[in-house]
Amino acid sequence: MIKLNINKKPIEVDVDPETPLLWVLRDTIGLVGTKYGCGMAQCGACVVHLNGVAVRSCVTKVSRAVGQKVVTIEGLSENNDHPLQKAWMELDVPQCGYCQSGQIMSAAVLLNENKNPTDQDINNAMEGNICRCGTYLRIHNAIKLAAEIQRKDSK
Amino acid sequence: MISFTWLPEAGLAHNAKDIPLPADWNEVTGYIKITSDNIIKIINPNPEFGQNVMTSLPMMVAEELDVEWKKVVVEMGPHDSVKLGPQFTGGSNSMRMYWRPLREAGAAARNMLMQAAAQTWGVPIEEITTKAGMLYHEKTGKSGKYGEFASKAAGIAIPKGVKLKDVKNFKIVRSSQKNVESSKIVSGKPLFGLDYTHEGMLIAMIEHPPAFGMKLKTFDASQSLKMPGIKDVFSMKLYEDGFEQGGFDTRTFNDLLVVVGKTTWEVMQARKKLVVQWEPAGEIKEKIGGRGGAREVIVPGELETSSAQYAKMQEYANKPGQVVRKDGDPETAFKNAAQVIERTYNAPFLAHNCMEPINFFAHVTDEKALVAGPLQAPGWSEPTLAKLLNLPADKIEIQMTRMGGGFGRRAYGHYLYEAAVISKKVKAPIKLIYTREDDMTYGIYRPMYTATYRAALDANKNLIAFSVKGGGIPEHAIHANRFPAGAVDNYLAETWQIPSNITIGAFRAPRSNFNAAAEQSFLDELAEAMGKDPIDFRLELLKRAKEKPVGKNNEYDADRYAGVLKLLKEKSGWGKPENNKYHRGVAAYFCHNSYAGHVVDMVIRNGKPYVERVYSAMDCGIVINPDAATNMVEGAVIDGIGNAFYGKLSHKEGKAEQNNFNRYRVIRHSEVPKKIEVYFVQNDLDPTGLGEPPFPPVFGAVANALYKGTNKRYYNQPFLDPATQNNNTNTNKKTF
Amino acid sequence: MVMKFRSSAFAHLHIFKLANLIFYKLINMSSGKTYFMHTKTFAVISTILSVIVLMSFAIKNEPLNNDPNVVAKDSVASVKAFMDVYKVLMSPRCMNCHPAGDIPLNGDDGHLHSMNPQRGKDGKGISAMKCTTCHQPTNVEGLNQPPGHPDWHLPPANMKMVFEGRTANQLAKQLVNPKTNGNKTIKQLIAHADDGLVKKGWDPGEGRTLPPMSHAEFKQAWITWLNTGAYAPSSK
Repeated sequence: MIKLNINKKPIEVDVDPETPLLWVLRDTIGLVGTKYGCGMAQCGACVVHLNGVAVRSCVTKVSRAVGQKVVTIEGLSENNDHPLQKAWMELDVPQCGYCQSGQIMSAAVLLNENKNPTDQDINNAMEGNICRCGTYLRIHNAIKLAAEIQRKDSK
Repeated sequence: MISFTWLPEAGLAHNAKDIPLPADWNEVTGYIKITSDNIIKIINPNPEFGQNVMTSLPMMVAEELDVEWKKVVVEMGPHDSVKLGPQFTGGSNSMRMYWRPLREAGAAARNMLMQAAAQTWGVPIEEITTKAGMLYHEKTGKSGKYGEFASKAAGIAIPKGVKLKDVKNFKIVRSSQKNVESSKIVSGKPLFGLDYTHEGMLIAMIEHPPAFGMKLKTFDASQSLKMPGIKDVFSMKLYEDGFEQGGFDTRTFNDLLVVVGKTTWEVMQARKKLVVQWEPAGEIKEKIGGRGGAREVIVPGELETSSAQYAKMQEYANKPGQVVRKDGDPETAFKNAAQVIERTYNAPFLAHNCMEPINFFAHVTDEKALVAGPLQAPGWSEPTLAKLLNLPADKIEIQMTRMGGGFGRRAYGHYLYEAAVISKKVKAPIKLIYTREDDMTYGIYRPMYTATYRAALDANKNLIAFSVKGGGIPEHAIHANRFPAGAVDNYLAETWQIPSNITIGAFRAPRSNFNAAAEQSFLDELAEAMGKDPIDFRLELLKRAKEKPVGKNNEYDADRYAGVLKLLKEKSGWGKPENNKYHRGVAAYFCHNSYAGHVVDMVIRNGKPYVERVYSAMDCGIVINPDAATNMVEGAVIDGIGNAFYGKLSHKEGKAEQNNFNRYRVIRHSEVPKKIEVYFVQNDLDPTGLGEPPFPPVFGAVANALYKGTNKRYYNQPFLDPATQNNNTNTNKKTF
Repeated sequence: MVMKFRSSAFAHLHIFKLANLIFYKLINMSSGKTYFMHTKTFAVISTILSVIVLMSFAIKNEPLNNDPNVVAKDSVASVKAFMDVYKVLMSPRCMNCHPAGDIPLNGDDGHLHSMNPQRGKDGKGISAMKCTTCHQPTNVEGLNQPPGHPDWHLPPANMKMVFEGRTANQLAKQLVNPKTNGNKTIKQLIAHADDGLVKKGWDPGEGRTLPPMSHAEFKQAWITWLNTGAYAPSSK
């Protein structure tokens, strides 16, 4: 049995420790917000946080998550009110929506580390997340808006 | 009757808070359900893949129904061609197809509620008014919620020919409304086919041959069967021999080597332990149905390599093609020309690469079938499904989940059929999953294309003849009746095609997505040779097409086409000196009933071209949801730049050379324009689509901007792949 | 001039001794009997000689290693060994993580790592693309999957240790200079051959070509180069 902590909840799963965290989340636990896009860390749809650090769960073994706090898109906020979620909804970012969990989880790490990211900061941080529908421009603007919301909220 | 199986709770359209589901829905027309508490639910008929039909289509209903949009709940409808219409997402047709039916449904439902109120209150219906979900009889001061009369209304026959609102009085439509699913998307709710679960569900995956033109010989699953979680490994046929395929029944490999297990990872691991022998499939005879009966098609057996295919296309390009349109006497005109300009354009196969890989759920028993997943056209797939399962259509339930991208790929139901036949065989609910590699190498690509354009100028540099000879593997891209046909006295269009075992299918603006690139680059080069401004040149031709059109069946409205160019010229500051620092390229195109144009502003940074700004002008009639429409155009621009720069699916001896995003390059965040300004021509024409029309002209505008930035014309896509630029066959074909 | 650089001083001493020996032999050969030159004259002549010899060495191979552990300086053997070292360090498995820019390289053709992950201040990446976001403690199984090591990183921004674009002369100098080699002594440099990330070059995961010689051969060449004086090949 593998003991995990996912979105602040302890949970035990009976899986091979070599199983990628992505499939444990999706198939075993039923948290399907984290997506499968490529299986080789190229697209970013599978990004989750391990103690606040982004990992691509499609190549991260579940054993690496033991003793770490795992946060998925479902746990990013209690009431869908993380500044990024608010900004995403305000600017109507998604088209098909499939990549957006990963986009938001990547952006969340950026905003944790950089309260006032420049265009270049955002480009550098988000280059690893693919969007086939082409919502990058909206994502970019939503991150800026989220930073603003975050600054206002912290006052 | 509504069944809420796994579908997430319906959310309020406006602020999308989840609400507990009431039990007493009254169905007032197939699209509307109202509870006694006045909760209005509108059913979205068309599957959603990011074009936001889930918001825009219900908006039309809500408008005519006269309810507050923020109180509306939207739900994805099941497949029900009787109640919900054609339900096909593709061809940029959703708005166009449902504009009347949905408005009529809304108006009819409102009328039924008014009748119910009139009956209840014993007053004439002419004295009843409505406002935002309430009914009023002003004379007596009576009022009531729609919900109070819903049950009675549900029993009234649906009236026909109810008067619709004047489009100038819209309160909901023509205003931007937020995406009804946004909150679910950003909080990771189960929405997509890949997220679908069912009690007792197993996972199935198919081990495909490593190359087109190959098939299964033998396999040894002894190691795989020993792996944890694995239930079964077997092979089966998808279609029996002689099966007559419908137009969207395309499939690449008929033998299915299937691994079934408990979880995705376990099945992926077990696949690695398969020991499989593949062999060349050789030539295969297929039966394809169509208007006029079934025809036999021979699928070649050769294992194809891109460089050889490319060379073969150039061979065909130099031979006469099949004439598909001829106006005047182009042969003589070319012979007598003072100047002839000839250019050849090429483009590779493209893979759709929807972010959500191919997948589908199926639960098939002897009596019935439940299938659920991402599918663009359930109606087109149902007949074949019924045939394969030997079940009547009314015993088949098709649920459409949200799709993580479509782009035309998911109009082909082969994966639905595969899931279904596997489920039937293993007698269990299964979800079929393709890995990214399975998906990218399976085919159903955008074809490979070549087109040669020729223009004849007289001594005064007037355009006297124009010809296009287009071909492709396995089909050409030519739209013979499109601009500039109709604008040139002597016009010739020819086509050719080379069959292949590499399967192809609709890819975002089929044919147009190449045509626009080639034709719009050529017009640019032509304008330059004639010493004309590229926009003015096109406007001149369109003027000719309007005032003195050549030939018949010209497939565009010259006024609307010109209108887009004029709007573009104005909004982009075309010709203004402050824009001289940009390398500007322009292109416009008509396809899928809408008109689109772009001005692409490019800069060269560290030797690399970068699109910094784009101006887009669209004429798609009434714009139903302006912000959603803008999002679509932005997406098409970015998608277009990415495919123009990088998109390529090449083959070596039948094997796809790109099988994941490490090799198949797609545009990424830092490469998108800083600004995309989208303008819509304001008119009250019936709405036409936006999913495809803005996409094709992006390629042409990018090519034309590249010319300005590098002083080199780009004839081969992808433009930034050095390998393809070396294949330029135009180096010796200057103007002569 | 003579005492400015440790290395030249030792060289000078070495040449002084050598010159002394040659001179002594010459004197003996010519006169048949022991003849001790006047010390002062001898010192002057040998200094002139050694300067000439030193200068000629400055043009050809430079001894960069004055470590007391050095077994025996041998510029020819040192340079020969370095050419093998150079071959390995400039091969993709090493050079890809020692890029000139701030984005690692990938593949046998050394193309830019897709997604442009940035070096960052500490070489461990930035934001949601830190190296460990994708690179696991061990190689991920499968073709083209991310290789792994518990401490996957690029050199930090203030000590980039660039290999890409370096000539053999430049790289050799860079490698022994503590200011450019991550503050390593010769002893630490020798140990570095067995560093975990260095060894990853020989366990790169499926689909990646190995360096042009085995790790054992590389280590041998590396230590030889260092121990024989860590000479840099001429810049010609």
